[in-house]
Amino acid sequence: MIEVEQLTKVYRVPIREPGIVGSVTSLWRREYKEVRAVDAIDFSVAAGERVGFLGPNGAGKTTTLKMLTGLLHPSAGSCRVAGWKPQDRQRDFLRTITLVMGQKQQLIWDLPAIETFALNKALFDIPSKQYAETLSELTKLLSLQEFLHQPVRNLSLGQRMRCELAAALLHRPKVLFLDEPTIGMDVEVQAIVRQFIIEYNQRYEATIMLTSHDMADVARMVRRVILIDRGVVRYDGSLEGLSREFGSGRTLVVRGNGPVLDRLGFSLMEDDKRRLTISPDRVNEVLGDILRELPQVELTVVDPPLDDVLRRAFGEKRE
Amino acid sequence: MIRILSALIRASLMVSFQYRSDLFFEAATGILRCFSAIAPLWLAFQHTTAIAGWTPPQAMLVMSLFLLFHALQGGLFEPNLGEVVQLIRQGNLDLWLIKPADAQLLVSLRRIDPSYLWDFGVSILMAGVCIAQIGPISALDAALAALLAVNGVLAMYGLWMLAICTSFYFVRVDNLRYLLTTAADAGRWPASVFSTGIRWALTAGVPILLVTSTPAEALRGQWTWTTVAGSLGIGLAFVGLARVAWMRSLASYTSASS
Amino acid sequence: MSSLWRHLKATPAMFRVSLADTVAYRAELAIWVLTATLPLVMLALWETIAAGAPIAGMTKIEVSRYFAAALIVRQLTGAWIVWEMNFEIRNGSLSAKLLKPLHPIWVWAVWTVSAMPFRMIVLTPLLALLAWARPELLTLPAAPDLALFAVSVTLALALAFLVQTAFGSLAFFMDRSIGMFSLWFGLWSFLSGYIAPTAFFPSWAQNILYYLPFRATLSIPVEILSGRLHGGLAWQEIGIQCVWVCVFGIIARTLWNTGVARYEAFGS
Repeated sequence: MIEVEQLTKVYRVPIREPGIVGSVTSLWRREYKEVRAVDAIDFSVAAGERVGFLGPNGAGKTTTLKMLTGLLHPSAGSCRVAGWKPQDRQRDFLRTITLVMGQKQQLIWDLPAIETFALNKALFDIPSKQYAETLSELTKLLSLQEFLHQPVRNLSLGQRMRCELAAALLHRPKVLFLDEPTIGMDVEVQAIVRQFIIEYNQRYEATIMLTSHDMADVARMVRRVILIDRGVVRYDGSLEGLSREFGSGRTLVVRGNGPVLDRLGFSLMEDDKRRLTISPDRVNEVLGDILRELPQVELTVVDPPLDDVLRRAFGEKRE
Repeated sequence: MIRILSALIRASLMVSFQYRSDLFFEAATGILRCFSAIAPLWLAFQHTTAIAGWTPPQAMLVMSLFLLFHALQGGLFEPNLGEVVQLIRQGNLDLWLIKPADAQLLVSLRRIDPSYLWDFGVSILMAGVCIAQIGPISALDAALAALLAVNGVLAMYGLWMLAICTSFYFVRVDNLRYLLTTAADAGRWPASVFSTGIRWALTAGVPILLVTSTPAEALRGQWTWTTVAGSLGIGLAFVGLARVAWMRSLASYTSASS
Repeated sequence: MSSLWRHLKATPAMFRVSLADTVAYRAELAIWVLTATLPLVMLALWETIAAGAPIAGMTKIEVSRYFAAALIVRQLTGAWIVWEMNFEIRNGSLSAKLLKPLHPIWVWAVWTVSAMPFRMIVLTPLLALLAWARPELLTLPAAPDLALFAVSVTLALALAFLVQTAFGSLAFFMDRSIGMFSLWFGLWSFLSGYIAPTAFFPSWAQNILYYLPFRATLSIPVEILSGRLHGGLAWQEIGIQCVWVCVFGIIARTLWNTGVARYEAFGS
């Protein structure tokens, strides 16, 4: 559904000497520096997949999404979405995709959301019957009923974002690009939105690609992650594989006591459990040590939280 | 196409009427604007009977065409242009660009400022009075004048669109808008006031004379096929150029960061 | 440390930054050169009319000199803070300014003055063009009149700034402050001598104009520069300018103070 080959985006940014001399000389002479926001990345996404696109600020996530939606033209390389070249901005392509940006809005600020929906109906040329169906479905799934007819400016952020989602999905796109879809929402609304996105994916077999800084989003909504940092893909695979590859270690949690635990450096937690974090390759050895002395002990091995994994993944490169 | 247009206009009118501002203020502003436009002409005719060959009703016709355009500029061009600049700054343009309709159409007609409806009404009334005073007009002259006026408006629209396109590169275009409105201001006077160089600049550079003097001349029967063809050519060129610039801007659009 | 000293000490740095800010966008330079030319349009119009017979006692060359002077004065008295104020008050960025130990009006004043070197750059090509095409239009008045002009143009700038501060402060109270200002500007362009010298008006209108503030921002320095106003009469007109500066100073101050109090009470 999405094919990306050697996709590259280079920005030219003017640089200017500070101070008055610099600002005057920059009147007629400007120097630029090239920033490679996205540097020859490759990946492909099959129809119906849910993919998380992760990376620190400035990694190139949003730039990539914008190239995939045809907003930016690639400097080199190519991408295809549902068979189209996004930058051609073909009408049928635009009717196949959608883009939701948590920090941007398409809803007309001064009017009720339903008016933006009506405008989108005309713009996307949605047949009236399908429009009515989709609208009632979205209204139900996102619980929009009570505020559909209030001016957008009077809505809370959570209500507004739910309306944004509905506005972006009225034409039943097959490919969804979500940029920070749950940013700024409270936990309850986040849950509604996540549940909704998964349901939409299953009902319409839509392909979903999302970026988020919220690891709960990622853990809940996607199966596959693509890690990008400074314009380069660092990892592409399953969520579990990610912890395996970058996990700083496993945490052993033990209920019980014995000298071996103290010797190994377990620390006591408040609920009478003891824990120790070790690197993955030492897990078997340590487990053996414990079980030899305390064969009856209750013992669990826990993956580190995703946040830690990512911090480590991106931190490693920096060092 | 028609459906999209009517949906856009409907939405922008609804936005405008959300803030039911006092009609009195709007009316007062509109009338005062027209008054302050006529006043200099009145002042000039205190000292002369004809300005470079234009009698009072003829010069006034130029002025009312100017006001008509001014209403379009203020009610349609300006709010949309200003919005695009803001849209680019805040990055919300992205969400308009991924709509499967012509993006140029969308950004050109997103908003209407209804406070200029007054100016629109008053200037049409003024033009009517002036035409009545000028005397009998042949059907051909009238038709040509109407065609040329529409052509002129399109040419100016093209120029505004070009200005919008520069906002993709230079984020601060408030000054450019100011330049356009200022330059267009010269159009309130009959063309023959200006030297040949300025006249050319106001025909082919900022084609305001195509909106005002050219149709007014046609109405007086002072036209040749060359001027008509030339005017239409310039109009077409502006619209075409705007289209090309718009497409190119989209191609090199870098979007607001994040 | 006294407040005045603190403000003055910060000024050079502010001046530098805002100058850099103005110059940062080079494309605007050309734009400003072009927008400065409106007086030349009026020059063309009135020259056509004055070509036949002098208007209200002004010969063609006097009319032309008047508008050449208007071109210069307009650049030297430009202030555009009304837009900036309106913007900052509405979107709340004024709050950041209010937290700083400098008075916001002072910041805007420095901003306005720091645009002057830039405006000179704008003026240069226009004057060069004029000097080449019509050298007879650019005659300097005698030294004492030039000093008078300096005083008068400074007062005109101060007045323009205060008027805009007053209209800008209206944004604290109403949505339409920009609309109000454009109303004022419409009246101003006609009544200040920008579109026609006030001498062209019928005498009854001139009598009214004498008591209105519009002339003080443009017509008075223009007439001094174009050599139509000298000595005692000029001093008298400068006196009138002083009066208007005081009046608008008080209006602007009152509006600003009540506005800020309101802004701080209700937020934005």
